Amino acid sequence: MDVILSLEGLTKRYGDHVAVEGLSFDVPRGSIFGLLGPNGAGKTTTIRMVMRIILPDAGQVFLDGEPVDDDRRRLIGYLPEERGLYRKMKVLEHLVFLGTTRGLPSNEARKRASAWLERFELGEWADHKVEDLSKGMQQKVQFIGTILHRPRLLILDEPFSGLDPINARQIKDLLIAMREEGVTVVLSTHVLPQVDELCDHICLINRARPILTGALEDVRTRYGGNTWEVAGTFGAADVGQLGPVAAVHQLGERILAELAPDAAPRELLAGLLQLGDVETFVRFVPDLENIFIRAVEEDRQHVA
Amino acid sequence: MWHRVYAIIRREYLERIRTKAFWISTILVPVFLGAMMIIPAWLAARGGGQFKVGIVDMSRRFAEPVKEAAAKLLAEDQEKLHITFVVEPVGTDPQAAREAVKRQVQHHELDGMLVLPATLPDAGKPEYVAPNVAAFKLLSVLERAVNNAVVQARLTAAGLNPSVVGKLTKRVGLKAMKLGAEGKETRDEGQGFLLSYGFMLIIYISVLMYGIYVMRGVLEEKTNRIVEVIIATVKPFELMLGKILGIGAVGLTQFVLWGVMLLALTAPGAAGILGLSGLQLPAVPPLLMVFFVVFFVLGFLLYGTLYAGIGAAFDTEQEAQNFQGVITIFLIIPLVLMVQILNQPNGTLSVVLSLIPFFAPMLMFLRMTLVSVPALQVAAAVLLLLASILGAAWVVGKIYRVGILMHGAKPKLRDIARWLKEA
Repeated sequence: MDVILSLEGLTKRYGDHVAVEGLSFDVPRGSIFGLLGPNGAGKTTTIRMVMRIILPDAGQVFLDGEPVDDDRRRLIGYLPEERGLYRKMKVLEHLVFLGTTRGLPSNEARKRASAWLERFELGEWADHKVEDLSKGMQQKVQFIGTILHRPRLLILDEPFSGLDPINARQIKDLLIAMREEGVTVVLSTHVLPQVDELCDHICLINRARPILTGALEDVRTRYGGNTWEVAGTFGAADVGQLGPVAAVHQLGERILAELAPDAAPRELLAGLLQLGDVETFVRFVPDLENIFIRAVEEDRQHVA
Repeated sequence: MWHRVYAIIRREYLERIRTKAFWISTILVPVFLGAMMIIPAWLAARGGGQFKVGIVDMSRRFAEPVKEAAAKLLAEDQEKLHITFVVEPVGTDPQAAREAVKRQVQHHELDGMLVLPATLPDAGKPEYVAPNVAAFKLLSVLERAVNNAVVQARLTAAGLNPSVVGKLTKRVGLKAMKLGAEGKETRDEGQGFLLSYGFMLIIYISVLMYGIYVMRGVLEEKTNRIVEVIIATVKPFELMLGKILGIGAVGLTQFVLWGVMLLALTAPGAAGILGLSGLQLPAVPPLLMVFFVVFFVLGFLLYGTLYAGIGAAFDTEQEAQNFQGVITIFLIIPLVLMVQILNQPNGTLSVVLSLIPFFAPMLMFLRMTLVSVPALQVAAAVLLLLASILGAAWVVGKIYRVGILMHGAKPKLRDIARWLKEA
């Protein structure tokens, strides 16, 4: 696997409070990587350590195999959770300023910023003060500031908070387009449906520690287990009577048949065919929210 | 590092130069200062006016001499002051005459009344009774006229010739000559003091004002939540440095603009156009101007750094107030100590005070305007200031690094000490 960003044993404590403990994961190049976890799990602390805004007590961060230092971190486009703009500055001036702090010459920054403002339909706002913009427009300006220096790796902390669905869609489409161009994106969020469609890799953090890491498809298979979604001329109760079925769940109109881990799916299918006609027989793919809740539950039981 | 610091400086400078507040203060401060200097002189020049004063002469002999003395004074001084005296005849009842004139004053028929007691010239104090006793020019003329008339009467009574005595007791006076470094003597009628005081006040106000701008700027970045966006690429120290230098450059720009305005005002012909003939500005030695800028810059760097630390440590200006007060006191102490320096600019205490970095920007400069300070002392003051600035930047840089990301609970001194260890 071609890894762009690698965290090794990252740890941060504040007095007795452990914010992040022994966190390791690799971000594959060209992926959209979800750093997930409940509020207060340590996501923001982790990202701040990657960006060297706070320094870890232990552990290291590598970008393209080299330790991240104050120069290398500028190769990353970072949108912090706590973000803002100078309210009195004009939009275009502000973007030029952000571009120059990231090493762009000011005329180049101006050219790129104007193009992005046009693309986000903010062209006519270029000479307005930031405070005249709506919150959603300000968010877009912040996003432009993050990508202005064309970073190969983006780290976005709760990028969709405060955005309406249309603006969120716009940013999502852009992220997908950037992935096509080879840009890697690390997304931190606790709002799962937003990233379900985007992420191909995830790391789930709970109470300062990673509890689930890997490609989303693998994780889904692992948590989906031997569960099958079925439909046909039979009811949930009938399915529950079949030999290989350990449990039956009903999700609205859908019937989920959970088999014992070693049971063969064809035995279930054979049983169903005896009940009547089968219209649907597919492996159940859990969404991130299901996985998240189950993983956090298991982690709690594990600790208890 | 420097292109990022430059980006910060550029933003701070341009954003502040473009504000209305900058231009308003740049224009209003000199207008205000100029008005304070010019208006009283202008008023005095065209001052005077018409006064009608009643005289109640209970001594029955001084009314005419006072009138004559006053006329002489008014003629000598070439004042545009006109006093018309109305002598009230004093009959058998002097008090009745006094009451009669008092009524006229009350009815605004007279501006005031001069009461000369019966005991003159041996004893007693004349009185001036009027609704307005703040007409200083009038009062001064009346007082001198009464004095002259009475003294003259006393001299004559003692058998002395008043005009001879007048010649013999003529005031000698004392001319203050400032001895320059090269032995050059120049006349100084207090411009020296005004100059020193004015420049010191400008350093004080500018350092305080621009220092607080730094603090507010830091607080604004915390409140705006933009600080994390910036320190993801710019080191906190670079941000702090850029902010202080950018705001300092705004201060220097303001001085340059004031300098240009002053030059325009003193240019030949300009004063005449403005109708301010007679306005004379003391010539300022160029070297002193250089040191004025040097000491402003050094003072601002020291105090600006400290104010930046306070901005970083707190969330709001209210929370920062106590610590801000402590620093402001350091700025005020030199103003309090000024008298000591004025009396003995080269005394041991003055030398020591002017070397202390917190006071040096004002007190060393003050001494330099008063006397020629040994170059070694000036160099020592500058070096000590530079060392303190570096020390302050080192300590504040640490507070800054931790403080700018802190929100919520107001930190105690203990917390800040802990940040210093952690950073």
